Amino acid sequence: MSAKKSNSRFQEFWDDFRREKSGLIGLGILAVAILVVIFEPLFLPYKDVNEGNWRNISYWEDNSSAAPPAWTNIFTSKKSAVSTTFNSPEVSTEEDPNYGLVTTYSFKYNYKYDLPPLDLIIRAKASGMSLFLMELERPDGNIVPVGEQFFEGLNEDQIRFSMDTDAASNAYEFARQFASEEALANSDSTTIRPTFVAFSETGSDMLSARVPLKGTYTLRIRVPSFITDDSNNVLEDLRLIVTGRVSGILGTDTYKRDIFTGIVAGLKWALFIGLATSVVSVLFGVMYGIISAYFGGFVDTSMQFVYQIFAGIPVMPLLIVLAAIFKPSIWIIMGVMIVFSWTGSVMTVRSMAFQIKEETFVEAAKALGSGKWRIIFKHIAPILLPYSFASMALAVPGTIVYEASLSLLGLGDPTIITWGQILHDAQNSGATLNGLWWWIVPPGLFIALMGATFAFLGFAMDKILNPKLRTR
Amino acid sequence: MYKWFALKRILRGLFMFVLLMFIFSWLFNQVTEKTQRDQIDERIKQESMRLKNVRPEQMLEWRLNREDQLIKLYRLDRPMMERVLYRALRGVTFDFGDSTVIKSGKGEREVRAIIFEALPRTMVLFTTAAVIQMLIGISLGLKKAQKPGGKLDKATSFTTMLVFGMPSWWLAMMLILLFVYVLKLFPSGGLNSVPTPEGFMFFLDRLKHMALPLLTLVLLGFWGMSFTIRNIVLTILQEDYIMSARARGIPERKVLFGHTLRTAAPPLVTMVLLGLLGSIGGAIIFEGIFSWPGLGNLYWIAVQQNDIPVLMGDLAITTALWQGGLIVLDLTYGFLDPRIKVGGKA
Repeated sequence: MSAKKSNSRFQEFWDDFRREKSGLIGLGILAVAILVVIFEPLFLPYKDVNEGNWRNISYWEDNSSAAPPAWTNIFTSKKSAVSTTFNSPEVSTEEDPNYGLVTTYSFKYNYKYDLPPLDLIIRAKASGMSLFLMELERPDGNIVPVGEQFFEGLNEDQIRFSMDTDAASNAYEFARQFASEEALANSDSTTIRPTFVAFSETGSDMLSARVPLKGTYTLRIRVPSFITDDSNNVLEDLRLIVTGRVSGILGTDTYKRDIFTGIVAGLKWALFIGLATSVVSVLFGVMYGIISAYFGGFVDTSMQFVYQIFAGIPVMPLLIVLAAIFKPSIWIIMGVMIVFSWTGSVMTVRSMAFQIKEETFVEAAKALGSGKWRIIFKHIAPILLPYSFASMALAVPGTIVYEASLSLLGLGDPTIITWGQILHDAQNSGATLNGLWWWIVPPGLFIALMGATFAFLGFAMDKILNPKLRTR
Repeated sequence: MYKWFALKRILRGLFMFVLLMFIFSWLFNQVTEKTQRDQIDERIKQESMRLKNVRPEQMLEWRLNREDQLIKLYRLDRPMMERVLYRALRGVTFDFGDSTVIKSGKGEREVRAIIFEALPRTMVLFTTAAVIQMLIGISLGLKKAQKPGGKLDKATSFTTMLVFGMPSWWLAMMLILLFVYVLKLFPSGGLNSVPTPEGFMFFLDRLKHMALPLLTLVLLGFWGMSFTIRNIVLTILQEDYIMSARARGIPERKVLFGHTLRTAAPPLVTMVLLGLLGSIGGAIIFEGIFSWPGLGNLYWIAVQQNDIPVLMGDLAITTALWQGGLIVLDLTYGFLDPRIKVGGKA
């Protein structure tokens, strides 16, 4: 009980707040959001997206384009292959009839879907030169010769081998062993999809029937010893990327970007833009109202005039025009939002400050010789600031939406990732009319969720701080 | 006197509008002048192509003369403050010259024609939505205030907070996804179908195109309104005279509609109109999602085409609408609350 009395004001507020269920929900979501921002690398599937890679097309080239989320497989009758990456191959050495001693890197891929992956991509970082002898062993024992590729003049460069583009003729040769004359006459190596050949049951109609052959596939990459023995040739970070038809938690967009990554990376910006802008602008508005009321007279009149000019400006349209003409960075956009949206709480604060300045404790402070600014900051502001917390929380959603709207129009800061920008790309690519819902629903839903979080907090605080609205 | 109060308020609004136009003119001075110079160059190029049988020296001289003439016409040779003031005054009459790319439906290049073509479309959409929102908002708000803390009140208050930060343009995208892509019930955008039907069918066709934009505005609009109304009504219900009215045995309906709503009217109207103004100022770009060719859509096109004169004109008309809304707000408030009229000298 004694502790309660000592910092009673906060304790009292917390006791009231605890009873507001929606306020607690808001607090909970906010806590989770802050945790996600702090531990962002743990949640990001693509870690280096924040280093300007969101708009780097080659960074995303191994992904599938416009793939739905992986969990959509639950609702479809034909299961699609999911995008996966294999990082650690099994390494062994064996004897090859043509090349002698070879080092074999093998990846095991358990294929259990109805629709095969779009591509198998082999990637590595290499120096010097390298020779890849690649083959795919199928569950039925047949071997698809994927290809032989020689790389040279490398200096810690990325090497990339895509089955879909680089192994078409080999896959066609494989199909020739089984398919009927008629089927072969109607196709050539440019019309078949290598992955369909590799992942289908063999037979005379294998090019058209495409019956999936499920089981464990083994992709082997052999590197001859004359390459591995030379210490100038380095091969590291060898990995197999299976480019599925469905991908990740939230799918990919038509630029092959992982949407979940964009959502997680956009969270910190939404929180930061929303909180920083509204806290600064509400604080400014509160101080403006207090100063206007405390000084009164000419100061009050002129400050009210300036207030009315700013209150008479429609913020969103002006933001659009400013952003379209000056193409500002996010910092300037935030500055402009502060300059034009501090007006919200001025009038209420001003009228409250008019009452407070007549109170006896202010008189007493004056009599004791306190200066004007000391009275404003030490005596009046501390009483009025708690009321502004609710306004701050309620201003956050609007700010987030303002930024998102600017981004939607294509006026966002291109050096950062925001949810509005994701929606801008979706809108530009006609995602709504093509039914790419996984591109449109999540960003907007998260904007709305962040808005709801702060609305929960703001309304709960408002209810506690304005006792007239209490129903109990 | 209400007459003088109204006159004063309108004059103050006009003054504010002129002042804002001056600020904008000053703020965007550089870019407007650059556009004007580009437009002059373009015009001279076009005109010089029509000249025939002239020697190069003559052509050069004609060009320089013409350029001088046009620069004088646009007053680009005058000192900066005069240019800013001149353009601000032109801006007050929405005269922003010709657009650089955008044309009106009839093919006009004049910015004034373009924005006044878009204005009625936005007005129709937003006023219809406003009326529907108000009807739903007021009735729901009263219902909520009658049983505060009840199931209905709690559920709707929760939804209010849930949609508080939802961007209207995102809801628009969602509705298109649902009603256009999945259900194929409504067209995805535009004013009318092509070819445009005539007579009564024209009206139906227009309504069909308006359905989704309207639905978006209404679905998001009435929640906040009903919440505000609930709070205002609740505050009044705690007043002493309401308690005495109830004690006198006046029926609850009469207390609610006669006593409460009459007192609640001024703040209620303020809140509702302010909310509507906010939606025009903030949600206007949602028109672009439906390609509803109003002022909001004009922002989209002007931004994409980088058409500065149209952008300035659009900003001017939105500011005028905003100021007009504020005037209407104060006038209604003064009309409903007799204490305001005398200018606070009660």
